Amino acid sequence: MSWKPDHPAVWDEAIQAFTERYPHVRIEREIAPHSSTAYHDLLTQKLKNQDASVDVYFMDVIWVPEFAAAGWTRPLDDRFSDAMQAEFLPSTLQVGRYRSQLYGIPSRIDAGMLYYRTDLLAKYGFEPPRTWRDLVHQGETILVGEQSATPTLRGYSAQFKQYEGLVCNMLEIIGSYGGALIDEQSDTARLSSPETLAAIQFARTQLLGPMASRATLTYQEPESLAAFVRGNAVFHRNWPYAWEIANNPERSSIAGRVGVTSLPGSDGHQGVAALGGWLMGISTLSEHPDEAWDFIAFLTSHAMQRYFALQAGIAPSRTRLYNDPELLAANPQWRSQFAVLQSATARPRSPVYPALSHIMQRFFSRALAYPDLDLLPEARRAEQNMNRLLDLTRSEAS
Amino acid sequence: MSGGASIGQMPENRERVTAWAMVMPALAITLAFALYPVVQSLLLSLRRQFLGVPALGDTFVGLENFLLLAQDPVARDAFLRTLGFVLCSTILEVGLGIGIALVLHEHFRGRGWVRAAALIPWAIPTVVASQMWRYIFNDQFGLANLVLYGDEVARYHPWLASPTWAFVIIIFADVWKTASFAGLLVLAGLQVIPDDLYDAAKIDGANAWQRFWHITLPLLKPALLLALLFRTMDAFRVFDLVFVMTQGGPGDATQVLQFYGYKTLFTEGRIGYGTAISVSVFLAIFSLSLVYLRLVGSGLLGKDAR
Repeated sequence: MSWKPDHPAVWDEAIQAFTERYPHVRIEREIAPHSSTAYHDLLTQKLKNQDASVDVYFMDVIWVPEFAAAGWTRPLDDRFSDAMQAEFLPSTLQVGRYRSQLYGIPSRIDAGMLYYRTDLLAKYGFEPPRTWRDLVHQGETILVGEQSATPTLRGYSAQFKQYEGLVCNMLEIIGSYGGALIDEQSDTARLSSPETLAAIQFARTQLLGPMASRATLTYQEPESLAAFVRGNAVFHRNWPYAWEIANNPERSSIAGRVGVTSLPGSDGHQGVAALGGWLMGISTLSEHPDEAWDFIAFLTSHAMQRYFALQAGIAPSRTRLYNDPELLAANPQWRSQFAVLQSATARPRSPVYPALSHIMQRFFSRALAYPDLDLLPEARRAEQNMNRLLDLTRSEAS
Repeated sequence: MSGGASIGQMPENRERVTAWAMVMPALAITLAFALYPVVQSLLLSLRRQFLGVPALGDTFVGLENFLLLAQDPVARDAFLRTLGFVLCSTILEVGLGIGIALVLHEHFRGRGWVRAAALIPWAIPTVVASQMWRYIFNDQFGLANLVLYGDEVARYHPWLASPTWAFVIIIFADVWKTASFAGLLVLAGLQVIPDDLYDAAKIDGANAWQRFWHITLPLLKPALLLALLFRTMDAFRVFDLVFVMTQGGPGDATQVLQFYGYKTLFTEGRIGYGTAISVSVFLAIFSLSLVYLRLVGSGLLGKDAR
């Protein structure tokens, strides 16, 4: 199996438990890079070169169409009954499907959320912001008041480096302005719509600079979280994992002063959370599909997801666990996170997603890095390039 | 592989057989490990293959990828950026290399240590060095900010967030790492210049600058060209610096050809197109090398050598 370890000790236990129940199966772990893109590149190399040594692997939610179209991953509908499917969050099953076949079993789920400093908001009498305008207003007020005490304090910290995370961050801002990256109806790129351009304009003029340091143009998750836990940001956008670190006194100077809520919306539009997470799939080259399935079924079972949630704070993909009293007692933030996780928005689902993502990364990063860049022609060019790719997959469908 | 002095007693063809037998193992390994991938890449670059779109099949399309590449504005940007990187870094490296070589050529106590120390940056793996520079220019706890602004944390500058600075820093990191290597090549050239030329020039009343200009530089030409050739070839293939430090950002400001090729080939799964990018890097290096080698050749055989 190829895997991404987050909490090695917890995983050791889980695999130990599996081999006790299935003594005839030996699990060989191959450690994959931490970065999703690096993992993708390594895994697709193996699958492309017909390497049958990998039976089970994790898939990022954005990979399924590509893996399915390329014929690397097995359809799992006949093994995964409707009754079983009913126990998972619908959005996580949706990203596991391609052309009405199911290829990935949701193992864990992620969604973008807004972390904030409860102490600072309380000090200035603010409720968590519901709109981006609120967020900027609160941030400005707090920055003025805290200027002398904490000169390094900034209003916002997020991931604006040119990489996959930038697409998630921009999808959220654009979505909360009523825009979309790709129009569902016509399956064409929508980067030049007025809503989208307004959202990007907001991000480059009001968020980047006044609120977020320009350093965020070099931030991925770890750097942006570091700024927040060092007490250098009022608001911080990140995935659910940040909760545990931000509240861990050993790793955070703001432990116990952190709140989490859904990302802001705009006037007339709800906030949007990008859906992330990991699914488990079986390689078409695997010579042990049955054992592989046993392993997946075991790891994604109610008991194991509960165990991972308790031990590692990994957000489960099974609906019932979100009402589990013991879990909620251990992770009170899940009350507020659950709503976000349930309504998260998937990134465009296409077998050429990596190429689409590169076009968007380039466009968004240029928009943010060059304040004088004329957005409309750039957006049009990016749209054309994306549509050319989307046409390739459409002609395949017909 | 030069034709050495003949050994005389041996008949001509036996000598040739022996020579071939000696060269064979090295040649076989070279062919297996160098030529095979090159030929394989050339063949792949003439095909259309897109992993996410199997319906396109895997077909021979001749030069289609290269024609597309010529019209691809992102590739053109990446090419010009790479060219800029090559120009700036090689000129700086060879220029600094001459300085380093002149210092290391002088006789002073501890010269051996200094020579060894000068090569340390070159001995550090590029990936490690890139991580190091990324930390040095970090906005929150980087050494660069500490040196420049000390305790004034509010003035700390996010270097790698600026497109211009990011590009400059990539060049800077490359120069830091390889100037000493260029210096080493130049030093080898310095050491073969006979001292009596300088003595003669001194007697004729030439000052240090004139001696450098009229003796050292012309006689260094082969070594300089060699250093330029090595550095150009290397700079054209720049990848790890960008991969570790910036991932091509911000706003594609550090996206060089090899990184664009990597993204296209490995992440996007466009096998034919991505390989075509790598092949064009190879062809660019190859043609530049030919130009250099002609120049080096004329330098070696011309009237100003020896």
